[in-house]
Amino acid sequence: MLTVLIYGAVTSAILAMLAVGFTLIFGVARILNLAHGAFYALGAYCAYSFTALLKLPLIVSALLSVGIVAVFGMAMERVLVRPLRQSSLAVLMITLVTALTLEQVLFVVFGSQSKNVPAFVNFPLDVGGVSVDGQRLLALVIAVVLIGALWLFIQRTRLGSAILAVSQDPEAAQYMGIPANRIFTLVMGLSAALAGAAGVIAGPFLSVRPTMDQTAMITAFSVVIVGGLGSIPGSILAACIIGFSQTLVAFYFNPEWTGTVSLVAILLTLVIRPSGLMGRVVNA
Amino acid sequence: MSALLEVEGLTKRFSGVTAVKDVSFTIGAGEITGVLGPNGAGKTTLFNLLTGFVPSDGGAARLEGKPILGSAPHVIVNLGVARTFQLCRPFHGMTVRENVAVGCLAPRVRAGGGLERRVAEILEQVGLGHKAAQPVEILPYGDLRRLEIARALATRPRLLLLDEPFAGLGAGEIEPLVQLIRRLHDTQGLTILIIEHKLREFMQLVSRVIAMDFGEVIATGAPADIVRHPKVIESYIGRGKHALA
Amino acid sequence: MSATGKRNAAGAAVLLGLLAALPPLIHNQYFTGVFIVCAIDGIWAASWDFFSGLTGRENFGHALFIGGGAYAAAFLNGSFGLNPWFSIPAGIVVAVVLGLLVGFPTLRLRGPYFALAMLASAAIMQQVAINLWQYTGGTEGIYGLDTLVESSLGYYYLVLGILVATVVVLSLIAKSRWGTLMRAIKGDETACQAAGINVTFYKIASLAVSAAFAGLGGVLFAQYQQAVTPSDFDVFLSISVIIMAYVGGIGSIWGAACGGILLNLMLELLRGLGEYRLWVYYLILMVVLYFMREGFVAPLWRRLRGGQA
Repeated sequence: MLTVLIYGAVTSAILAMLAVGFTLIFGVARILNLAHGAFYALGAYCAYSFTALLKLPLIVSALLSVGIVAVFGMAMERVLVRPLRQSSLAVLMITLVTALTLEQVLFVVFGSQSKNVPAFVNFPLDVGGVSVDGQRLLALVIAVVLIGALWLFIQRTRLGSAILAVSQDPEAAQYMGIPANRIFTLVMGLSAALAGAAGVIAGPFLSVRPTMDQTAMITAFSVVIVGGLGSIPGSILAACIIGFSQTLVAFYFNPEWTGTVSLVAILLTLVIRPSGLMGRVVNA
Repeated sequence: MSALLEVEGLTKRFSGVTAVKDVSFTIGAGEITGVLGPNGAGKTTLFNLLTGFVPSDGGAARLEGKPILGSAPHVIVNLGVARTFQLCRPFHGMTVRENVAVGCLAPRVRAGGGLERRVAEILEQVGLGHKAAQPVEILPYGDLRRLEIARALATRPRLLLLDEPFAGLGAGEIEPLVQLIRRLHDTQGLTILIIEHKLREFMQLVSRVIAMDFGEVIATGAPADIVRHPKVIESYIGRGKHALA
Repeated sequence: MSATGKRNAAGAAVLLGLLAALPPLIHNQYFTGVFIVCAIDGIWAASWDFFSGLTGRENFGHALFIGGGAYAAAFLNGSFGLNPWFSIPAGIVVAVVLGLLVGFPTLRLRGPYFALAMLASAAIMQQVAINLWQYTGGTEGIYGLDTLVESSLGYYYLVLGILVATVVVLSLIAKSRWGTLMRAIKGDETACQAAGINVTFYKIASLAVSAAFAGLGGVLFAQYQQAVTPSDFDVFLSISVIIMAYVGGIGSIWGAACGGILLNLMLELLRGLGEYRLWVYYLILMVVLYFMREGFVAPLWRRLRGGQA
């Protein structure tokens, strides 16, 4: 029972990291970033390259990986997305193409086999009588810390207020001297960094293969839809719901069906309450 | 004169702010009534409530005895209530004629074979006949206003709600629009409800004024009386006397 | 007929003549097969453009309808052994039902819910097709379907005929009052409601039509390949269809059909590049998205032809 609780918490934590970034960039810039899963994959593969191939110290490779993903995300926003902002279809397409292209790159460079990423914490820890893999606990801790830091940043700093202003009304924010465009780029960087960090921290115990972005994307979707597009608290709550559901299904039924959990969650939400748990109901 | 529209205790809250508070009034058929009030008084919210674009938190509204609150916008239009928007909303990518044609395609109208003729008629009425084939993107704002009204007219309304029709118009464009509205009223017996916060324009048009402030009705009466009403003056003084000009 | 109309008719005649004459002239079964897929792509692209191009609501899961039609054909013909011609109405019905299921709750809402729902639904169906392998054959899919017409050339003319019919029907609807309303929805939904139009109804009805033709294409594809696999629901297929419509000209049904034909031809020609095929594909998409917002084929024709739009 405790095992399920702990593993559930870890899964929820990773899901939350993925979902918060996705919902953040949507909430602020109205961008549905279909490359979000690719950021996750990029983070994992960077971590793999730096630790396993280049043998860099773990902390260094973690920071480098997250940094690279953040820069990649900002570059994508600046170069590919910004010019196409008037058409949401074009933005969706360009992020999707970015994801597919990145997937191809990873496939060509690294091959289709799963990679083993060395863990930061190699030994199991004992939690209340249950032996848990140290890396997973670390993931849980890091997720909580990062999301907490993001929340504080948005609520307590001036830059955070600027972000909130832009998410409510970009034009009005610009009249007040806030450079909306640069905020969009910054938020994309934050979003990408979170996804990349998720990849770095979860890589050691989740599968690392070129198509990992797709599962990540679908799961992030489901969390964000259930939680409500644009709502960070909603994403966190939904991440817990879906994370624990997946863990229960994996433990008591069949690990293969975890993917179905997220998809069912999407269906149910869209049919019963499309705006999600904490999204705003908007009728056309 | 029979009551065309009866509103009782209409209320709307937006997370903590009561935008419309217990508003009641009656509009008789064939009247031109004005809704006056400073910015934020709840006038547009009132329109949104009456036309189904926003759900209400209480109260009732009846058009010729039929309740209309809570129905979808297109249903209310087909009951005979048409509106224009404060910021003109033409259909982009279409011509003037096509814009009006959409209004004629409302189930209420069922123009059938006479669609083109009816569209041409309406365009003549508002003075846009010569611009029928133009794409809306190149129209000057005054013409966009007329197009808004034309599209509303196309749905054969009994009650026409005009939301700040004079906003954004230059000095030379206001008088012709006043004439147009008067002409529509006189020739078709349309019942009209106009929102404005500039008095001079609609003093000439309306026979009765409903004054609002902070979501409540603070006074109703003839235009000349309303302008001198202490509460109405007070609602404007706080926002600058020039607003009354 | 106006001068523009005459030129349009002439252009269409030439194009159709080319399409009809090329395969027998080249006289190569492989190429005929390529043309068959080109025509089916044309049906898919035209049906996508009918909904998304006209109403402006992005459909990111057109493969849902394609796969739905394909698997309907597989079940009826492959598993139950029914005459393959029955697959056509079956595929259409299945696709329309799927469209209504997804469209009904989500087209009412503002925001990206519809686009996401379509994307997610196609992914869900793909997973279901994989997971329920006892019924669907899993990743292998179902094979051994009968073909509709024995000879390749015959199949091609069947599909070409259906493509022409698709373009004609959809264009007629697009030019009718229904089409005007769809364009008004694209122009400003709120204003459309204020004009007394039941916007949700028209969106759902248009989606159903779009789904029907996509499902029809799915059946034709399944019976041609004589097999179906979960990749008939794949997101890559959905975006390919969107690219085709973009290249052809969003809002132009015949343009989208041409986009479908062109893109598949191009993909074939690029086969020699092996792994890099996809790169070039993506590059083309980016170029189109950036520099040809209105598309390529339809705007090009308008410029060549002159006259009014």
